[in-house]
Amino acid sequence: MLYFINDIITGALIGLLYSLVAMGFVVIYRASKVFNFAQGELVIIGGFIVWFTTMQLGLSLWLSIPLSLILAGLVGYAIERIFLTKLIGESVFSMVMVTVGLLILLRGLVLLLFGPAVRPFPIIFPLKPLFLGDMLIPMNLLLGGIITIVAAVGLSWFFNRTRSGLRMTAVAEDHVVASSMGISVKGSIAFAWVLGAILSTIGAMIFLSGKSLTFLASDIGFAALPVALFAGLESIGGLILAGVIIGVAQSLTTNYLDPLIGGSLGSVVPYIIMLAILLIRPTGLFGWRTIERV
Amino acid sequence: MDPSGIFPTSYRSDRRIIRTRWQALALILFMALMVAAPFLASGRIIAILNMMMISAVIAVGLQICTGYAGQINLGQAAFMGVGAYTASILASKTGLTFLLTIPLAGFSAALFGFLFGLTAARIKGFYLALTTIAAQFIFHFAVLNLPSSWMGGSNGITVPPAELFGLRFVGETTQFYMNLTVSAIMIAGAFGIVRSRFGRAFVAVRDDDVAAGIMGINVAATKANAFLIGAFYAGVGGALWAYLIRFVGVDQFTLFNSIFFVAMIIVGGMGSIMGALVGVFLIRIIQEVIATVGPNIADSVSFLGGDIVFAGMNVILGGVIALFMILEPKGLMHRWNILKSSYRIWPFPY
Repeated sequence: MLYFINDIITGALIGLLYSLVAMGFVVIYRASKVFNFAQGELVIIGGFIVWFTTMQLGLSLWLSIPLSLILAGLVGYAIERIFLTKLIGESVFSMVMVTVGLLILLRGLVLLLFGPAVRPFPIIFPLKPLFLGDMLIPMNLLLGGIITIVAAVGLSWFFNRTRSGLRMTAVAEDHVVASSMGISVKGSIAFAWVLGAILSTIGAMIFLSGKSLTFLASDIGFAALPVALFAGLESIGGLILAGVIIGVAQSLTTNYLDPLIGGSLGSVVPYIIMLAILLIRPTGLFGWRTIERV
Repeated sequence: MDPSGIFPTSYRSDRRIIRTRWQALALILFMALMVAAPFLASGRIIAILNMMMISAVIAVGLQICTGYAGQINLGQAAFMGVGAYTASILASKTGLTFLLTIPLAGFSAALFGFLFGLTAARIKGFYLALTTIAAQFIFHFAVLNLPSSWMGGSNGITVPPAELFGLRFVGETTQFYMNLTVSAIMIAGAFGIVRSRFGRAFVAVRDDDVAAGIMGINVAATKANAFLIGAFYAGVGGALWAYLIRFVGVDQFTLFNSIFFVAMIIVGGMGSIMGALVGVFLIRIIQEVIATVGPNIADSVSFLGGDIVFAGMNVILGGVIALFMILEPKGLMHRWNILKSSYRIWPFPY
């Protein structure tokens, strides 16, 4: 019973980590209507920036973390400037395809710049787990979960209540209409990518803290994808619920079903949930329903 | 557009694929050159041509699914893998002849693709692309986690050579003729499909699926059909691949391979079978150049080791996709068509 509760808590916290990475998808989608397939690569780039500032430059964590976030924001801005600004007004298909191109381009660049070597990642969160009675909760996931919830509440408020957030929501609805209403589509997309890159870097810190860093860690981008779709691509608050559900489902499958069938069903459970939710409710739990006109 | 003096007088002649004598002549010359290639060229070039023909079959299938029907498909490598595994399991366990295993590989891949195409009844746009990524992951999961006596697990499967009337298809040259025959049939079929009723339905759905539905096209069935046909081509290509490499493993069919196929049709031009072929030709040549030059660079930049080919491939193809989407979203075939029509009407502007 104790193990069961512990599995549920750990699963929920891993789910919250997925939510944080998925928040990168949603923020970019909410402000620019582009689904960014290269989210996992942004996580890796964030990870390498953190590694570079702490391990290579030898800065203390108090200095290196803000510096990494600024650098990550710059990378996001550069990607937007080089690739996406030129596509405003083109079809959504072109923009999505550019992010697919970015997926392999960034993967290749990371490999060329840093090589396939395994590197130690700085310890950002205390390694010692939290003991609750006999239960054991990893500290990085616990603090990460708190950061995720704070970020979700803050961003949700920003996008739904503030004036500049609502402007970006208009951009997500329709580029042409938004720009004819005097909203800067360019500015909105640039902001989205900066924010997306920063969130990915925070995700990388929580995910990798005290572990090793290789380019393979970008798989978390695809692990977070079902969470984004389950919540609906427009909802930031919904990510928390979706992340917890998927995390718990995955943890329970890994711990109780996998030993029975002797496979790693846990790794595909999020995708099966995703396929099911797409068939039942294509807009996800909290996504917008759109009416199409010809 | 057609050259001056060539104009269709009936619907039948308007649908013709070969429209002028010069085109017929060019096609015959090209086919003759291909048949004679093993006598003219060295083994290395034949090997490259083999890869090109197999990729052409798969890219043409993707072209029908993505370029004509507008359904983004990032799971073409998984569909190819299903075909390759079907062919190799049938060939190694039951000893069926390749005349049967290749079509059966196509059908099993088509079934797998159709299942994911069915989701198109509810989902559209890039959501659909996400379900095809799920296809990629589920394929990997199935191969690695099902009992290894079924699909070989992580060890892969060794494929016996294809055999016909006691003639074993080993070596690049004999396989060249097998690939040439199959890919010629498949590509001719693709030209037929896209000018048929199905092809017109694909284009209508791509241009506006709501409007197509109002005009009486069964949109969900059309999308599922597009996946079915695209996956059939991928399955046949996968079977040819299995017979060429004589070994299948799950690492040969990753998301990256799928994106390489997408790059081929973007470079060549969406919505054109010729475009897919041009794209395959160019991308395979780039790949070949990187594979030749890569190791030399790797010697001077030693810390990268053998990964430089994969990394360089990714950087160049990713850059190519992004550049083409920004600068030439309709691909090279579109540019070629503009050029062709402007010299045909020269010296007039239109």
